Amino acid sequence: MAVSWQRRLAARAPAAVFLVEGARIGPVRETLALSPGIRLVDTPRHASVLVVAGDVPTGWRDDLRRIHDQLPAPFVSVWCCCESFEALCNPIRNDAVEALPQGVVETHRELMLGKRDSAPRLLPDEPPNSWEGLGDDGHGGEGMMGGTPYGRPMAMNMQDDLRDGLTLDTLTFRLGPFHSALPPGLQAEVSLQGDLVQTWTVTRKPFASVVEPIFHAARQEPVPIVEIELARARHHLRRLYRGLWIAGWPRLAERTLRMAGQLSPNSDIAGLRYTLERGGLWRLALPEPGRGALDEAQARQLGGPAARAAGIDDDLRSQDAHYRRLGFAPTCREAGDTAARWQQWLDEIEQSLVLAGQAARHDLKTAEADAVETPRGPWADAFPHDMSDLLGEVLPGLEWSEALLTLASLDVAALDLHPLGETRLPGPGHAGQKGHA
Amino acid sequence: MILDQLILPWLLAWLMAGLGAYLVAVLDRLMASGSAQVGSVWLAPLASAAWLMTQQATTTEAPDAPAWRLAPALYLALAAIGLALVPWSPTLVGVDLSTSLVLWGSLEALATVVIFLHGWSANSHLALIGAYRYVALGLSYLLISMFVLIGVALPAESLRLTEVVAAQASLWHVVSQPLGLPLFLVVGLGLTFWGPLNLADSADLSGGTAVERSGPPRLVWALARAAMLVAFSAIAATAFLGGWMGPWLPGPAWLLIKSLAVLVVLLWLGRRLPRLAPERCLTLMWVVLLPLSFVDLIWAGAVALWMA
Amino acid sequence: MALLTLSFILLVTLGLGLLLQWLPARGSLKPTYPQRAPFLGGGSPDTHAWNRYHIRYYPMTLLLIAFEMEMMFMYPWAVVFIEKGTMAVMEMGMFLAILSVGIVYAWREGVFRWQ
Repeated sequence: MAVSWQRRLAARAPAAVFLVEGARIGPVRETLALSPGIRLVDTPRHASVLVVAGDVPTGWRDDLRRIHDQLPAPFVSVWCCCESFEALCNPIRNDAVEALPQGVVETHRELMLGKRDSAPRLLPDEPPNSWEGLGDDGHGGEGMMGGTPYGRPMAMNMQDDLRDGLTLDTLTFRLGPFHSALPPGLQAEVSLQGDLVQTWTVTRKPFASVVEPIFHAARQEPVPIVEIELARARHHLRRLYRGLWIAGWPRLAERTLRMAGQLSPNSDIAGLRYTLERGGLWRLALPEPGRGALDEAQARQLGGPAARAAGIDDDLRSQDAHYRRLGFAPTCREAGDTAARWQQWLDEIEQSLVLAGQAARHDLKTAEADAVETPRGPWADAFPHDMSDLLGEVLPGLEWSEALLTLASLDVAALDLHPLGETRLPGPGHAGQKGHA
Repeated sequence: MILDQLILPWLLAWLMAGLGAYLVAVLDRLMASGSAQVGSVWLAPLASAAWLMTQQATTTEAPDAPAWRLAPALYLALAAIGLALVPWSPTLVGVDLSTSLVLWGSLEALATVVIFLHGWSANSHLALIGAYRYVALGLSYLLISMFVLIGVALPAESLRLTEVVAAQASLWHVVSQPLGLPLFLVVGLGLTFWGPLNLADSADLSGGTAVERSGPPRLVWALARAAMLVAFSAIAATAFLGGWMGPWLPGPAWLLIKSLAVLVVLLWLGRRLPRLAPERCLTLMWVVLLPLSFVDLIWAGAVALWMA
Repeated sequence: MALLTLSFILLVTLGLGLLLQWLPARGSLKPTYPQRAPFLGGGSPDTHAWNRYHIRYYPMTLLLIAFEMEMMFMYPWAVVFIEKGTMAVMEMGMFLAILSVGIVYAWREGVFRWQ
């Protein structure tokens, strides 16, 4: 079959992937980001492969359909640990995360060379509202703004602006569950005036955040401190990677991710820290001191590194005899704002690496079981709950990029209480049986 | 006459735009990760371009259709005009206006309009924010650019680019007006919203003005951006690095080398710095960089009088 | 003649840009309505995006206009600068000083922040 040279050349291009992250999936974004033949993009328009990794429950399916239809032809979807839609006759299912990059690259190549057809569109081809208008050209109509020209109403001014009190139009939309800057599964109704967030109402809570199995194991039995501290550093480095991506520093983000993949007790982040400071992350990119600050009650409820960045020095590790022997003391910062939280990440990574180095020399294990300080927060009898309503109090009044960087610094999802790899029975809210699309 | 007045400038502009855009893609890829490059780095831009050509061109629900289609093409045209202004040798100039610096300034101003149109015409929420956010930057770098270029024009007693180069016969402006080139590089980053000044197509807006672009229009937009970067580098090399002047090689070769140097510096800066927050960007440009450009102007005037 | 050349380059490049966008898309399908919805991470919008956008740098643009007028003055000033000598430096210094007061005032008033 004669494939044009253009298509053959296109098959050699890296696969542009829009990743949709669902519940209970490991570090799939990080795996795909490091693969050389794959380029992760921020919008489905720039992609030709839609990768859905992790379970997407029923309530989130409609939004997934919307995203699926937004990719330009020719496109294809790859499903990993998730039920695909029934309308897709021949979906590609690949449940092994390690084999996913290779599978995606091959799928892209097949798509370009014409061996695989482009996926069908799922939603019916209808405008959101029928074109409503009176008169010959559809001008005029009822309501203040003339009905719904071209399918949607126009924005209207609602309330005074938060910063300067001038009332101009408010733009309201739902920022979706699968946006790359939001925690997976979080949908919020955002209203903006200009680019300043006026209100942020969470309409769907994010999926529970997954921590490495060693944190779950630490609640059963003593585990080597080296392992648990390296896992903690890895978790924070991955959060830093996402934050740096949003902050517009992809090269350093990739370097951070590579470091996370190659952590050892001898690793050192001094170089990374130096690059971040000299590159002007705090002086130029992050919000100013004072923006995105949590007050004490909010910080205490949130727990974890965010609370320590606000000056609350609670850390379950200080109750552990072996940690005390290594000279552990919780690192804290006073200002509970976004800049402090980003600094806190670096502090905690450094502290974890130092602890891991020392523990490797003495070959220590944790002394306590039952209680573990996860990177998300303390887990003793109480576990970290979902705190996404906090966002509605912290984010209004911030400009868009400040709001997203603040969101990146806050870990508001609940903690997933079951480690990955444990098979769970499908419960309510899951897609469950085959045949449900 | 038709040949060298009409065809030659056009061919020069297109040749430089095409080769330059390809070179920008190759260099950017080389600088991006440095390791783990799949496939040949020379073929990669062509492969990506071919892939973009196979994509469907998305449209939105109710865009401003003429502007939606024109914006990438207009940006490309502005870059081509900029390239036509560059003097390759005392005799080989695309278009030798007596006021070429003024025309370059107007291209910078029009670039702001075009980039705004690109985001606004989509009628999409994230693209709109990107467009309006960029205009703040666009209006700020314009002034810095003008003061710095006026400083370059002072010793030449003329606004013609060939005279500006001729006035550097004794000393290049990068030495005699040391603040000029760094400030002008910031302008270059803003003009093509590259790296730290990427307020238009940024990652926190999922691609900003280009969030709804796919397929061939996206390719033309990327091409235009790269061509504008090349045009800017050539103008910077002309105004600050002595243009065609240099010992053994012919004039055009020297200009190419100098433009390449400026281009590499711009690409490096693009990878090395995070994106500035819009408020801090505005404050930085008006409170720090603009007064510095005043100082640069006064310095340039003093040096010009002293050397005259 | 230069104007003709520039217009020629403008029109031809514009034509190339438009052709590059239109030619490969001739045979492909029109995007469906769901495909055209604005990308919001999977969410839906309430209204069109076009609105009376709250530009927060509006006072900065007023300052910009003042400086633009100065720029218009400086183009011919640059050409006769060396002839006029020190007098020209003095004039420009005065002009810049007056406008710098404007910048300082604007800075203190918070014009350069998203206020």
